[in-house]
Amino acid sequence: MSAPEPLVPRVLLTKSFIDSHDRAIKTIALALRDGGCEVILVDYETPSDVVDVAIDEDVDVIGVSFMSGGQVAVTQAIVTALGEAGRGDLPVVVGGTIRPFDVDDLESSGVRAIFRGGEKLERVVETFRDLAAESRRRRAE
Amino acid sequence: MKSWLSESAARVVDGAASRWLESRAKRYGERTFEATNRSGIALQPVYGPRDLEQTPVEDVGMPGQFPYTRNLYPVHYQYQPWMDLQIIGYGVATQLRERMDLLQAEGGARGYFGGEAYNIIFDMPTSMGIDPDFPAVQGAIGDCGVSICTAADFETLFAGKNLESTHVSMVCNAGSPGILALYLAAARNRGADTTKVGGNITNYIWDFFGHCGGINFSPRGSYRLCADIAAYCAREAPRMNAITISEHNICEAGANNVQAVAFSIATVIALGEECASLGIDPDAVIPRWGFHVRYGEDFFEDVAKTRALRRLYAKLNRDRLGCRKDASLQARIHAQTAGSLLTVQQPLNNLVRNAYGALSAVLAGVNGMTINAYDEALGIPTEEAVTLSLRTSQILAEETGVTKVTDPLGGSFYVERLTTEIEQAALALIAEIDARGGLIECIESGWITDQVAASAYRWRREVEEGDRVLVGVNRYVVDEEPDIKVFRPDPQAAAIALENLERHRAQRDQAATDAALVRLREAGLTVRDGRQIGSVTESLVGAAQAGATLGEMQSVLHDVFGRNK
Repeated sequence: MSAPEPLVPRVLLTKSFIDSHDRAIKTIALALRDGGCEVILVDYETPSDVVDVAIDEDVDVIGVSFMSGGQVAVTQAIVTALGEAGRGDLPVVVGGTIRPFDVDDLESSGVRAIFRGGEKLERVVETFRDLAAESRRRRAE
Repeated sequence: MKSWLSESAARVVDGAASRWLESRAKRYGERTFEATNRSGIALQPVYGPRDLEQTPVEDVGMPGQFPYTRNLYPVHYQYQPWMDLQIIGYGVATQLRERMDLLQAEGGARGYFGGEAYNIIFDMPTSMGIDPDFPAVQGAIGDCGVSICTAADFETLFAGKNLESTHVSMVCNAGSPGILALYLAAARNRGADTTKVGGNITNYIWDFFGHCGGINFSPRGSYRLCADIAAYCAREAPRMNAITISEHNICEAGANNVQAVAFSIATVIALGEECASLGIDPDAVIPRWGFHVRYGEDFFEDVAKTRALRRLYAKLNRDRLGCRKDASLQARIHAQTAGSLLTVQQPLNNLVRNAYGALSAVLAGVNGMTINAYDEALGIPTEEAVTLSLRTSQILAEETGVTKVTDPLGGSFYVERLTTEIEQAALALIAEIDARGGLIECIESGWITDQVAASAYRWRREVEEGDRVLVGVNRYVVDEEPDIKVFRPDPQAAAIALENLERHRAQRDQAATDAALVRLREAGLTVRDGRQIGSVTESLVGAAQAGATLGEMQSVLHDVFGRNK
């Protein structure tokens, strides 16, 4: 049995078009690249643009970073647009300034992981890799 | 160059230094105890009189003297305390007004010379120049700032206040030109004389460093608009600070202090050259430019960078931009403690971080101060957290005694040397930007944002590897985080904002609004061609008075001055 080819996860990272402060998303992008992922960074886009790019680029995971509001509404819009495009299977990860009162709504929208400031980069990369592997497996089935 | 030490003094100093080296070697062997600061500058374990020789004697002088290293004024806080400007903003105008009244009742909201002062932050749609009824922004309305889209909203926010004695600072991004216009229109509607209205528009459209969000004007369109706003304010609202060069934002985006000082000064050069190319006298506009500087990362480096910034600004404005007026050479600085160093973990620790940051700002002699609230990594601050931030400033100003002497660290061997080292390193970086074709070229090529992102990533790697300590994050971690009360803005704010906007559109004189927007477009095209600078802002104020909304004005400006994406 030959060894399986190493997985190179394709990750889409984005911020909402009405957000600011892109330090975190750029840091995560560099960490994921160093962690062997291909990163497509589309800074500051509307939910429907995010979904279009995710499908065009055939990504395995979507990561959305927030700083200045709209955490729940924007995430829900992305998840809904994914469902409408028949890609409700794509895992969505959220990070940044996630307030305690955002958590329940984010989780019930189906967000797979929530990362806040101070999270270890190693764990972030690992989570993206695991979700990507799962996403690939599911699509291969 | 004048010498700091006489020959006989130098002999004494050198003798002491060599004895110190001997005793160090005897006690600690080969260890050198060298360290580096945030900017990567190597630090010695101790500094001495010889370190003053890095700095020309005439660059130190006394406070209130060129090049203003030691402060802008002969005496500082003994005469004029810093202005406290807690950043506040959430919900709609009526809701934010409650927080303004609380601050005032607690002894905050004090401007210079007896007036009131407020530092308002807008929700992201407003900040970017987008109306509440734009698709897909509703979840952000009033969420992390106040929602404003008409002059009437500002009239509600400041109802009953005398706008000629109220300093209003407005923190905003791409929406800056329109937000300024809404405010000035509200002042006029209230019968105020705009030549007496004072305040500050951050006007962050200059900021392409990674902090200010995605939608902006094209870089060249932004710098043209900055010149227009500066020229208009010089004429019609001369007490309004027309731009804030935010060293703070550049640091928050991830740059180190040397980069942030260099990029800030490079921005001033680019703006000054834009004004000069349009025939604007720099002395007419530059006195109303100011800085926003970040504190809290590396105590003495923060003090030294402030002194270096003042010195560089004075020298370059005189020698490169040809300024003559003293006010054009004086870098007025509004301090803010570092938001990106606030931790979600053990949030009360942030109170301590903010207090140290504020102390370094005061020792550096800043003119205004925003001390963050301790819970801002978790969301918008609670009333308790905002009050504690104000108390931090009050304790510093009225209990600690640090305000009794101007530039108390002046003459420190370490601080003077570090000031000069930061100045020189920043000058080298400015020369590199010049060699790359200037700041706007470096923004357009992506070079600037690559530099900032690489620096941010290096910082994060240091945290990850434990080389940089963040208490509660990578050291002294607790298993169970304390339960902290967080502020939740009213989720109904969006509905109220939408209802207000709908009513506004229905009640206004639509023909007058349309005509004013046509005039705005014409002024835009003229200014884009390099003529009648100031007429865009004038037309914006006119449009705002005619009932145009922020988003309507913004889409005209985007059409004319382009978008960054």
